[in-house]
Amino acid sequence: MSLTATQIISSLEKILDENSIIFTKEKMQSFLTEPRNRFHQPALAVLKPNSISQLQEIMRFANKYKIPIIPQGGNSGLVGGQVPLYGNELIVSLAKINKLRELNIEEGYILVEAGMILQQVQNIAREKNMLFPLSIGSKGSAQIGGILATNAGGAQVLSYGNGRELCLGIEAILADGSLYNGLKFLRKDNSGYDLNNLLIGSEGSLAIITAAKLKIFPRAKFYETALIGVKNLNIAYQLFQQLVKKAQKRLTAFELISRFGIAIQIENKLINQDFISLQSPYYILAEISHFDIEEKEILTQFFEIAYEKNLINEDSIIAQSMAERNEIWQMREQMSESQKFAGASIKHDISVAPKLVPELIERGIREVAKINKNIRPCPFGHMGDGNIHFNFSQPVKMEREEFLSLTKEINQIIYDIVLSLDGSISAEHGIGQLKIDLLERVKDPTAIKMMKLIKNSLDPNNILNRGKVLKL
Amino acid sequence: MKILVALKRVVDHNVRIRVKEDGSGVETENVRHSMNPFCKHAVEAAVQIKEQNKAKEIIAISIGPIEAKDVLLNALAMGCDRAILLKTEKEQKIEPLAVAKLLKIIVQQEKPDLVFLGKQAIDDDANQTGQMLAGLLDWPQGTFSSKIELEENRVNVTREVDFGRAKISMPIPAVITADLRLNVPRKTALPMIIKAKKKPINIMEAKDFNVDLQNRLIVERISEPPKREGGKILNNVQELANIINELEAEK
Ligand SMILES: Cc1cc2nc3c(=O)[nH]c(=O)nc-3n(C[C@H](O)[C@H](O)[C@H](O)COP(=O)(O)OP(=O)(O)OC[C@H]3O[C@@H](n4cnc5c(N)ncnc54)[C@H](O)[C@@H]3O)c2cc1C
Repeated sequence: MSLTATQIISSLEKILDENSIIFTKEKMQSFLTEPRNRFHQPALAVLKPNSISQLQEIMRFANKYKIPIIPQGGNSGLVGGQVPLYGNELIVSLAKINKLRELNIEEGYILVEAGMILQQVQNIAREKNMLFPLSIGSKGSAQIGGILATNAGGAQVLSYGNGRELCLGIEAILADGSLYNGLKFLRKDNSGYDLNNLLIGSEGSLAIITAAKLKIFPRAKFYETALIGVKNLNIAYQLFQQLVKKAQKRLTAFELISRFGIAIQIENKLINQDFISLQSPYYILAEISHFDIEEKEILTQFFEIAYEKNLINEDSIIAQSMAERNEIWQMREQMSESQKFAGASIKHDISVAPKLVPELIERGIREVAKINKNIRPCPFGHMGDGNIHFNFSQPVKMEREEFLSLTKEINQIIYDIVLSLDGSISAEHGIGQLKIDLLERVKDPTAIKMMKLIKNSLDPNNILNRGKVLKL
Repeated sequence: MKILVALKRVVDHNVRIRVKEDGSGVETENVRHSMNPFCKHAVEAAVQIKEQNKAKEIIAISIGPIEAKDVLLNALAMGCDRAILLKTEKEQKIEPLAVAKLLKIIVQQEKPDLVFLGKQAIDDDANQTGQMLAGLLDWPQGTFSSKIELEENRVNVTREVDFGRAKISMPIPAVITADLRLNVPRKTALPMIIKAKKKPINIMEAKDFNVDLQNRLIVERISEPPKREGGKILNNVQELANIINELEAEK
């Protein structure tokens, strides 16, 4: 038996108060518009439960009547996982399930509900002089549930790991409404399958994450932060190798930035004009964390030697204060969004072994230039873990639509190179609805089979994020 | 022309300040320090003047512990030619008047045409040193400057004041203190850091200058500002109206 929209809403009104159900078009809009403005389906309604038990009731109801559910966090995802595909889904927002449950400095963890915004977690830790190291451009909106559902990475993965590695435990609600408690954390626990790790990165297709226990760390006392101009990518990789050897775990970031991305930001006054003297084709943002103020400089010395050996360019800068450090990081974090000032872009979030990054980028640029030599490449990203956002901006003199019609062709070129280098077609952002065909095409068939078996048994009615991640 | 820029090493502007448990001051041990932001604008202003070939030499000076060498190096890397450190004891605090007296002695030795300072240091927010120095030297002062223009034997300063901007013209020599809108200080280029390490820093003991360094002020207690209460997200306009009504009723 299937219910009409009106029947569904009136049943939900028995579970939730009126403020927690949104179904007018205007009020739903902010839940439907995602950062890339690519997907434009409506939803049946947006639900904002106040409690875990309300959320369980919603799931029991939805499962009984096979109503598709989309878990939504901060709606900052980049592959359309958090927005509708069919137009008849219920979006379940975790925004109100956002309490701090426990902060334990001695044992180094924070236990929060899924709806807490990333920046708030960072701030709570900071208040206690601790650090939650995961940080991404969308930190002001992305929620912990969304972060774990997508296993987000960011800039400090190099030494602290991505969402998965920072998570000690999770609590989640399954499609049938039952509550899974995986919050207890033991260093040694081999009692069966690792269900937490199954749910992390499942993009809302297996369960709704409701709470998580996250690692926090002592805060660094100071950072050495440098923005280094290099002539080419091989030098960038060479410097990375040497620096890792020297600084090891203290090297907390090694980011690649293309000059084009900086130029857009200067042109549009998104950063201070003193960046204007930067003229190298590529920059490295390297950062070392120091845990004792007495510790000697590593980074400055390292780059001084590199400069004297003529490996790096004159337009390299070393931050002399936290304010300068923040400015450099702000520039890095604005790379993704500022690209819209250069018109349409075609983006790829990919990864290869770090030593193959130069080859990946050089080949990609060469091949894409064959289509049209005026396409403007804007590669940047986490060079230290091989994850590059390999983006292309439209030629100045081309129409937006004409450029976007090249998407398939450019995707094919880049993904073929990635696969030939044994890389991944989705390093950080996930599959969602954007890359679902691609995944089917390139992933190992046995892996696809296993994923489908898992999906079918945990969510037999296929209500959680129907039509996303896997083609059933 | 010769310019003397005075600068202070302070707890970094972006470090969360923690008050010591006994209320005697703020934690400065094992905390990142950097150049006082206002002083940075002063250095930038001097360097820009030199780049326009209007100044021959810029001398950076700081009064503080030996670690203040780091901020002097920063000033040298930005483009100052040489530096002077009047070294104090590690935990020693020096009040603006004593600083001004020490600076006066250096001014008399070095004979600069202009002295630049930050308008205030972000640690004590005294906003006094520049004014006191001008008073002691009996030089004109252009404080809170957002623009500096040089003319023959004169300097014009646009000041940021409560009612807007005031443009004044002073004979040289003069004391000028820098406000935030004066310029955008440059970031430090690596080759300049390498060069800076080769520039001279003359280190002298502050106590050898025959200036009374005793503090006049007694700090009774330092306390944290009251905690801000967290905001609350309301569901609709009606809830907001109810809260406003309640507040009105309380009045
Ligand atoms: C400017 C910008 C920069 C970014 N930078 C990075 C980056 O550096 N690294 C990186 O990895 N990502 C980055 N991202 C994308 C990143 O995936 C998301 O920002 C974030 O991880 C998603 O969090 P969210 O709460 O917004 O989730 P949403 O966008 O709401 O949802 C994302 C996915 O998770 C699911 N989901 C959300 N909440 C839950 C939950 N509680 N339980 C189960 N499933 C849930 C949704 O169904 C959807 O499939 C960036 C995004 C932007 C806009």
